[in-house]
Amino acid sequence: MSDQKIVDVTNVSMSYRRTRHRVSSLKQTAIDTINRRLSYEQFFALRDLSLEINRGETVAVIGRNGAGKSTLLKVVARVLPPTSGRVIVRGDVAPMIELGAGFNPELTGAENIMLYGTLLGRTRKQMQNRIEAIADWAGLSEHMDIPIRAYSSGMTARLAFATATDTTPDLLLIDEILSVGDEDFRDKSKARTIEMMNSGCAVLLVTHDLAAVTSMSSRAIYLENGSSKSTGKPEDVVASYLEDVHH
Amino acid sequence: MSDVQVYDSDVKLVPVISQIRAIWDNRGLLSLLVRRDLTVRYKRSIIGIWWSLLNPLFTTAVMYYVFNTVFKSRLPGGAPFLPYLLSGVLLMAFFNQGLTMGADSVATGAGVLTKVYVRPEIFAASSAISSAINFLIGMIPMTAVLMIAGEHPGFRSPLVLVVIVCMTLFVTGLALLLSIAYINFDDSRSLITIFLMALQYMTPVFYPISVLGPHTKRVIMLNPLTSYLDVFRSVYGGGAVVTWHEWTMMIASAICAFVVGFWVFIRKWPGLVSKL
Repeated sequence: MSDQKIVDVTNVSMSYRRTRHRVSSLKQTAIDTINRRLSYEQFFALRDLSLEINRGETVAVIGRNGAGKSTLLKVVARVLPPTSGRVIVRGDVAPMIELGAGFNPELTGAENIMLYGTLLGRTRKQMQNRIEAIADWAGLSEHMDIPIRAYSSGMTARLAFATATDTTPDLLLIDEILSVGDEDFRDKSKARTIEMMNSGCAVLLVTHDLAAVTSMSSRAIYLENGSSKSTGKPEDVVASYLEDVHH
Repeated sequence: MSDVQVYDSDVKLVPVISQIRAIWDNRGLLSLLVRRDLTVRYKRSIIGIWWSLLNPLFTTAVMYYVFNTVFKSRLPGGAPFLPYLLSGVLLMAFFNQGLTMGADSVATGAGVLTKVYVRPEIFAASSAISSAINFLIGMIPMTAVLMIAGEHPGFRSPLVLVVIVCMTLFVTGLALLLSIAYINFDDSRSLITIFLMALQYMTPVFYPISVLGPHTKRVIMLNPLTSYLDVFRSVYGGGAVVTWHEWTMMIASAICAFVVGFWVFIRKWPGLVSKL
């Protein structure tokens, strides 16, 4: 069935134009223009990358810092439009990238659940029915009516995690498997992440946890300088990555 | 037909139309963002609402003292100065606030635009709408001042809504353009403050147009904000007589700023988002 292919990335490149000094002020730009020193360099975050993920598959992306892993996640999450190439994603996407985006300290727990869930693409009606369950899952039912500036950082993280994971997506994007909060909640959140990963959706997992790659993914990609250096069975890819790191 | 959402990066968005549709499809989010702005501003209290009115009222009081008492400026025909001034201050606050808040919320992305797919135009629109609501609240003390001055909002006062809709469109389009400058150049924020001050003086907030020489008058009449202010004062009170020329100027500038702002923004956004 054709709809089994959830993610289809074809020859995607992502490039930025950067000024030489990476300045971004009008003053510096004017000075550089007058002195004829304004020059740009092209920087490739992704280079000619292709990737398919089918329903039920977990693809892990590994590589050094700055290799383009997060850029790839954001391209698939539709946040960054590719410079060239094509991205097709079918179905609902749950991006677990820097959770709690859009949280406002002045709003109450319930209002933040509502706003965050809506930002993640769910409808207000859906959210209305889920606030109680989300609060309960986060263990924060008694704190729903106070502004979250009164929350501890652990409580805020729990609220964000509970809201972000209260969904059954077709594609799950994970930037490191998070474990947030105290000991109990850490186990609970990790279990929830794994439960989501095993729910039959497609998963794109970016991680530095190589043990997780071999145990949880069905395929792996090793990115270097924006291009795929090796891809295939997780064990093989991890091995080739480790070989490079230890050199 | 399936209702599966499909994202295909090769399907290009149609300028303006796709953006308006995105705002409409996300109207639930839009109203939550507006509510967020108002909650944060008013801190859920009546006192909070009055508190935020202090700024325009105090500005008006200072300007009233300076121009009425110190400079002894008088409006032609002896029309009361206070409603004239207050209407100008409120409308300029609507413009300034909608513009800078809107550009800011797109440029900082509210910490959201680099993590979740949301059309940024929604943020500009929500800032413009919350500024419009602030303006409506500011019209309460303005109405009181009008009554005290012996004027009464007449049967044409519902036309204020046309002014508000036009200003909302105008400010949304300009905020998107300004956000491009904000993202590209860190120091554009301080430059815009100077520009807004100059614009304030080029709008007849505290002086009547009739005191100007013919050359200055032509320049001031070319400023679209003048038409918003004149129309507002003529339909609600504050003393101004307008012709179809001001109405045309107001409506045309609103549509123009909106279309151009959206058009340019959708072209520029792919290059901007990677700089956030």
